[in-house]
Amino acid sequence: MKKEQATQSQKLMVFVLTMSLYGLATLFTELIPKFQIGLVEISVEYFLFIPLVLAMLFDPLSAALGAATGELVFSEIMLGQFGGLGEVEKFITVTIGVYIAGRLVRNPGNRKMVGIAAFTGTAAQLLMGTLVDILKVQFAVEDFEAVAGLPESVFATEGFAFLNDLLFSGFLFCLLPTLFLVPKLYGKIEPLLGMQPRTESTALPSIGGKMVIGCVIGFLCAVAAEFLAESGFELISWEAEWAESTGSIAVGMVAAAAIAVIVLVILKKKAGDTQVQV
Amino acid sequence: MTNMMKKLSENIFDKLSMDFLRNQVLKNAYGNDDTVIAKLDPRILLVWYLFFGLVPWFSNNIIFLGGCFLLVAVTTILAKVAGLVLFLFLVGVFSQTGYLFLVSLFFGGNAETIIPLLVLTLKVATVSLASITVFSGLDPDRLSNGLMWFGCPERLSFSISYAYRILPMLMEEFQNVLLSYRLRGKAPESNGFIGKIKYLVYQIQVIIHSFYPLMLNTAKRSRTTVEALEMRGYRYAATNKEVKKMKLSALKITYDDLLFLAVSFLWMAIVAVVMSYM
Repeated sequence: MKKEQATQSQKLMVFVLTMSLYGLATLFTELIPKFQIGLVEISVEYFLFIPLVLAMLFDPLSAALGAATGELVFSEIMLGQFGGLGEVEKFITVTIGVYIAGRLVRNPGNRKMVGIAAFTGTAAQLLMGTLVDILKVQFAVEDFEAVAGLPESVFATEGFAFLNDLLFSGFLFCLLPTLFLVPKLYGKIEPLLGMQPRTESTALPSIGGKMVIGCVIGFLCAVAAEFLAESGFELISWEAEWAESTGSIAVGMVAAAAIAVIVLVILKKKAGDTQVQV
Repeated sequence: MTNMMKKLSENIFDKLSMDFLRNQVLKNAYGNDDTVIAKLDPRILLVWYLFFGLVPWFSNNIIFLGGCFLLVAVTTILAKVAGLVLFLFLVGVFSQTGYLFLVSLFFGGNAETIIPLLVLTLKVATVSLASITVFSGLDPDRLSNGLMWFGCPERLSFSISYAYRILPMLMEEFQNVLLSYRLRGKAPESNGFIGKIKYLVYQIQVIIHSFYPLMLNTAKRSRTTVEALEMRGYRYAATNKEVKKMKLSALKITYDDLLFLAVSFLWMAIVAVVMSYM
């Protein structure tokens, strides 16, 4: 039997497909206002079922990267909601979540496995997002512990949001649509991209070994993201001590301006270079 | 009174129709390429964004943050951003910090809690307004060229250009599929609480069902796209330095760009001086 080796252009097709579909969906979720009943937030937030379905049917890595890129481009850059560092973390968590789910499914005909994979992928993505969120608030607010009631409130709201998202959005908007769409699309959508449907014998890894490695790498990435956020936190406290005297801030400003000017000069030089050579 | 309320809610729902959303998104993408911001060089704007997207996170001085905020507010006005995007920005800022204040009051915080939260709000607002200025004020093609100049992966700049081209088509197609499902089905009565829930469930079901044909259609379309790209040697061109140079030779830095940077710097220097006297 031939292994499910997608060619480069087929991978690009999967990438484009996932990017445009998930991008469209996240654009809507960004535009449609959420409504709340008490503390329970009901939002159509979670269209994650789209990349989950596609990752289970096609090459998981292309689908995962496509989904993360689609979200970044459509809902963040197009609407001007790009948040810098936070988006990098979102990019990584979405990629890992979708990739794990896609890798878990060896036979899309097996409904039980599809359900478990959809739920695992969603839970992994949400959990990583929650950790990052908590760290982000700690990192932005000075003397986080000193403000009365703030630490508890952050843990409470974030923890509650996690459970709410997992049980409500995760179950209704990820598990059920995936269970509905995967068997329906299986065998129908693959020929449109010129591929063989995935079966037990043509699935990517031979045993679970590669899958375990993938999970470990995913876990490491999550830890790395966390560590990055934490080291950023230390950097800030160091920065705050250093900036006690107001004069040093002005000096910092001048330094930043000097760097900007240097960059500017280099930019101009480079632009001149290309003009000469072309 | 009830009549008026009914009219008001009808009015709001009118505004939130699919066409309205589409118009706002398209206006945001293509509608404002004659503004001051859109004429600037994308590379300069990205460097500018790097400062206002990062530095506010590292400062806790209210005067400094307020100065940054005023500057990016002015540039946002200059960029003539679509109303919906600004509305989303306000909702986003409130949902990030406003509700945190309410919850920390609940956990025994007091009015003093408001000062760190004001700092956090100013940070979030400055960073998001800077990104709105850059990513919404710039033409998508210029933006992706600028990103490419800084060595971003070709995949990303391709995704941005492709997303802006494909979005109007995708939205129209999604709307058509949705409408055809609505025509064929019968919506349940939305009277009473249970009726409202039934109606909501029906709507969500229709949306999920309509992704089935949409996925198949988009799969066909992405195959066509990728095949057309391959025919023109896209994957070869993406890694070729000569092609990149030709593509980027249109970028030029003018005096306007330098003036923009100088004015921004002047403003920040004034803020720094004010800060050291306070």
